[in-house]
Amino acid sequence: MTSVMQQMADALWIMVLGMVLVYLFLGMLILGLKLLASRFAPSAAPAAATGRAKAVPTQPNLDPKLVAVISAAIQQHRAREGRS
Amino acid sequence: MDGLMAFWAETGIAHFTYGQVLMMGVGLVLLYLAIARGFEPLLLLPIGFGAVLANIPNAGFTEEGGILYYLYHVGLETGIFPLLIFLGVGALTDFGALIANPKTLLLGAAAQFGIFATLFGAIALNLVPGFEFSLQDAAAIAIIGGADGPTAIFLATKLAPELLGAIAVAAYSYMALVPIIQPPIMRALTTKEERAIKMEQLRDVSKKEKIFFPLMVLGLTILFLPAATPLVGMFCLGNLMRESGVVDRLSNTAQNELINIVTIFLGLAVGSKLSAEQFLRLETLGILVLGAVAFSIGTAAGVLMAKLLCKLSGGKVNPLIGAAGVSAVPMAARVANKVGLEANPNNYLLMHAMGPNVAGVLGSAVAAGILLAVLG
Repeated sequence: MTSVMQQMADALWIMVLGMVLVYLFLGMLILGLKLLASRFAPSAAPAAATGRAKAVPTQPNLDPKLVAVISAAIQQHRAREGRS
Repeated sequence: MDGLMAFWAETGIAHFTYGQVLMMGVGLVLLYLAIARGFEPLLLLPIGFGAVLANIPNAGFTEEGGILYYLYHVGLETGIFPLLIFLGVGALTDFGALIANPKTLLLGAAAQFGIFATLFGAIALNLVPGFEFSLQDAAAIAIIGGADGPTAIFLATKLAPELLGAIAVAAYSYMALVPIIQPPIMRALTTKEERAIKMEQLRDVSKKEKIFFPLMVLGLTILFLPAATPLVGMFCLGNLMRESGVVDRLSNTAQNELINIVTIFLGLAVGSKLSAEQFLRLETLGILVLGAVAFSIGTAAGVLMAKLLCKLSGGKVNPLIGAAGVSAVPMAARVANKVGLEANPNNYLLMHAMGPNVAGVLGSAVAAGILLAVLG
């Protein structure tokens, strides 16, 4: 009978130890995952992608001045060519 | 006349013992459950047939020279078959949901309480006359609560090979019974409002995260729990093959051909352990009862932990997903989804439940490693 009691005490000890260790181990994994997410989470990547996507439509907005300058230059050039 | 007598002496009828006939009956019941009821047919069919073959008198399947004898010694005694299955499971597992919501690892950890509580229960059963489980036996039985077939078989072959047949049959039977065992426990521990909680959509996960995850798991296991590295190592190898995307051929083989071939051999080898003298004992009854208890406690612990997370997060976690913490991938996650749909027809919990579900696989592998380290 005493040996059964001894075994039960051992089992109880393993139960407490086991649960603590499982929580500790998986808890460390959570920290690891947070670390991974802080470095490699895709939230940064789509932001950059949308930034680029926004940059594309803004280009035409910038363009009119440039277009005007370039077309003026071309006109001048053609006019000069036409003269000679 | 002598020839006829010699022939008679060689027939099965002349040599049957009651035990063998009974065990063939057990094999046929397993075949029935697999074929007619669809209970884990991939494993129960070969296990059931193996049980029939192993109990044929004079055929010598389980004696030296017989195929089941060799399958057992080559694949199970060495632990190779369950480890190869784990490689395939790793290649089949998508950790995306877990990486997106790391907190669900706590649910996978809580559900392992089923294992450790049952360890205590198995030892307490020694108070009943007729039971004599050592701590090793108790640990091998308790791991049924991890609801992970290969882990249970791996641990049983290391700690209590003589109980392997009963443990494997119990583990796979209860995995098949997940949709029956879990819902009443889940409903009893949660309110309808809690079950109806909708969860936020999971964030996207980058490929780099998915590649680094198995390496990180392996690294932590190497540092803190080398006893679990056979299981976790094979699992991580399979997962890395899947996520790296550079060895699709190997990954596909691990997910399909390899795991299928090994499943056939594993089933037959487990079936060979269903012999009369090893199975028809009082202990088997105890193992079947303890297995169900382990499973139920694991489910309850997972749900209670999820309730705690729900409180702490201000009602953002649906407690039902905690029940998926007892691995049994993907059945337990589907059950959580189904019970959630009953409470709120627009509530799809499947992806959220996959997080604790795969966390449960890691959790039971870790628990197995702890038991091996302490008792092995």
